[in-house]
Amino acid sequence: MNVEIADLTRRFGRTQAVAGVDLEAGPGVFGLLGPNGAGKTSLLRMLATVIPPSSGTLRLLGHDPASYGPRREVRRHLGYLPQNLGYYPSFTVAEFVEYFALLKEMPAFRVPAAVAAAIERVELGDKARSKLRTLSGGMLRRVGIAQAIVNEPDLLLLDEPTAGLDPEQRVSFRALLRDLGQHATVIVSTHLVEDVGAACTQVALMDAGKIVFHGTPAELTDRATGTDAAGDAPLERGYSAVLAAARSVAGARS
Amino acid sequence: MTAATAPVTAPRSWRVPSAAGPARLLRLELRRSPMLWLLPLLAAAFYVSTYRPAMDNPPFWNIRSAMLQSHTMLVFAPLLAGVGAWVGSRDGRRGLADLVGVTAVPRWAGRLASWAAATIWAELLYLAGVAVLYGVTAGQGAWGGPLWWPVAVGATTVAASCAVGFAAGERLPGRFTAGLAALVVFLALAGGAFAIQDDATYAQIWPLNVQGPFPSDSYGIFHPYLPDLAIAQVMFLAGLAAAALGALGLPATTGSRWLRAAAAAVTVAGLAAAGTGTALAGTARLEANGMVIPALHDAASDRSAPYTPVCGQDAVPVCLQPAYRAYLTDVTTALGPLLGQLAGLPGAPVRVTQVAVTSVQSSPSNGIGFGPPVIRGRPAVLYLPLSGLTLPGEGSTPAAAFISNLREQYLPEIVNEFVGLPAGTGPNAVNGIGVGTGPGHQAQFTIAGALRLVVKLYLQQPPGGRLPPGAVAARPGGIASQQAAAARRFAAQPPAVRHAWLASHLAALRAGRVTLSEIP
Repeated sequence: MNVEIADLTRRFGRTQAVAGVDLEAGPGVFGLLGPNGAGKTSLLRMLATVIPPSSGTLRLLGHDPASYGPRREVRRHLGYLPQNLGYYPSFTVAEFVEYFALLKEMPAFRVPAAVAAAIERVELGDKARSKLRTLSGGMLRRVGIAQAIVNEPDLLLLDEPTAGLDPEQRVSFRALLRDLGQHATVIVSTHLVEDVGAACTQVALMDAGKIVFHGTPAELTDRATGTDAAGDAPLERGYSAVLAAARSVAGARS
Repeated sequence: MTAATAPVTAPRSWRVPSAAGPARLLRLELRRSPMLWLLPLLAAAFYVSTYRPAMDNPPFWNIRSAMLQSHTMLVFAPLLAGVGAWVGSRDGRRGLADLVGVTAVPRWAGRLASWAAATIWAELLYLAGVAVLYGVTAGQGAWGGPLWWPVAVGATTVAASCAVGFAAGERLPGRFTAGLAALVVFLALAGGAFAIQDDATYAQIWPLNVQGPFPSDSYGIFHPYLPDLAIAQVMFLAGLAAAALGALGLPATTGSRWLRAAAAAVTVAGLAAAGTGTALAGTARLEANGMVIPALHDAASDRSAPYTPVCGQDAVPVCLQPAYRAYLTDVTTALGPLLGQLAGLPGAPVRVTQVAVTSVQSSPSNGIGFGPPVIRGRPAVLYLPLSGLTLPGEGSTPAAAFISNLREQYLPEIVNEFVGLPAGTGPNAVNGIGVGTGPGHQAQFTIAGALRLVVKLYLQQPPGGRLPPGAVAARPGGIASQQAAAARRFAAQPPAVRHAWLASHLAALRAGRVTLSEIP
């Protein structure tokens, strides 16, 4: 398993962002769904080793990232696309991707080919020498994806990766996700359930810091059966049904 | 986006060059450093703050090199601190702190590459400015060689400014951090300059301070450049830079335990160096040949710098330090009439030799003493300091003004010295009416006044001008008027008569045994 977490929590002051999450994930595309404030980004940031957990067990790629050495080893094989990606306006696309390849300690001799491959995979080959300040929002998002995959990561964490992409690009991106998921663990946090349905083999739904559903997209769809959950698509109705059930249980407990 | 996993060959036009990781990282930072955008501004600032003022000064290595430290750094240091802060705050401002923070390269090492790139550009520009200024100075035929310690202090100030600003930006990322860092560094420099003027001795460590609050012009000309203060300044500035950069590596997220230990060691070493440099500066004192720090001082550097003087061909030759070669004619022109009057008299100088200005430290405050010209030795030699005078070419000073200033400032003192009046007798003995305190003293003043009259220096109030401060106006019938009349009478005598009288009475005059009535 590339991701093994048990009873993971994260507090920010009085706010419990993640409240006892258990999860295991191997190679494949893993969708992380949930409403705003459900704790998806906090969970992803812990998986990306940006922030440490408040409590619980976290093992990534077979390492405990609590100490520096294993954390550095994890980071060599990690790809991460934050929700709000900044960029260096004066860098070109190629330079930006190369910069992160170097920061990920890729062997220098592999960097040129890896940068070229990553840029081609996000279909920005013709923009490789363009300054980032000249690119559209969607293109910048693709640059972010390119830097995340440049080291061919074993663990790829993408927070809202399709935000800003047009429908055609989203279709291409889903194909890319499926391809990456053949060898790596890809965790995609998103609000767009159609992305999950099209690309993910596993899906987890978070609410109030907890995972309230874990299964396949088909299983999530089935949860809507026999309910009057709202939604335009079957997966959306499953999503709504699970959330409604989770909240009714939580309301009854409180 | 494609799902193809086969290696993709990039078009040749944007192929990424293969190089070692850290070197490539530095190359990327060098290519995209914001410092590049500031280089034209820095070049313009160098021209305005340093090059143009330097060209308004004589081509002396000591003056030019001092400007590379004091003038340049007053402008460069705040600008560089500002850019350093801008570079340091880059990831925070751009929302990339998370992404950069989860890469394998220790964050401290990665950030040092950004600082290094900005610093390298700034150093290159500064050194290019040094090369241009020194090249032009050498082309102007300056005597001696360039002084490198001020350049070392300047270069270290560049690195330290970038480091301090960078650390501020890294710690407090924000769009106003750069401006604030520049302002703080400017105020610190300005405050340090005031502290030096107020003789706060520890403030001598400040990088704008070259050789004390009142540097003489003898260092690097009559004496070797004393590196004592410069060494302390380099220690302080390098320590400051090391402490600022080292402190960035202390947080637990910046790297391994070993790396943080190294950062802590760098920080401690930097603080120790900065503290030691400051403490050493507190022991500095201004000597005749520059700032001396006892713990760093090499006594061998107290020896005068060897040189072969350049001398004129007149009956009483004027000999100058070769750095002043260009002013030999002007000095000879200024002194010639008086030297001609004195030539052949007992005790008259047979040669004029330029000497260094005397720097003194009168406790508790630093100060400088401009020694007067003196006549000493057998045969007598007139030792003449040229410091305190504005040289031709300095600002818009023409040669005529230099000659005039030299005559008005030094000839009365030479005359006083010659007739036996004590040095620094006062303005009475210069342009006003000298009032003697006794008969012999009155005669000395009178002869001095007569000799000034002969060489066309004012005996009384210049027409339309004002008496110098402290001068006493002559009252009709008073002793001053009697002296003035006697002086005019003596000055009107034929030169041979004056010369013969002086030859026979000079010893008695100097001893104060001649009265006014004995003067023809």
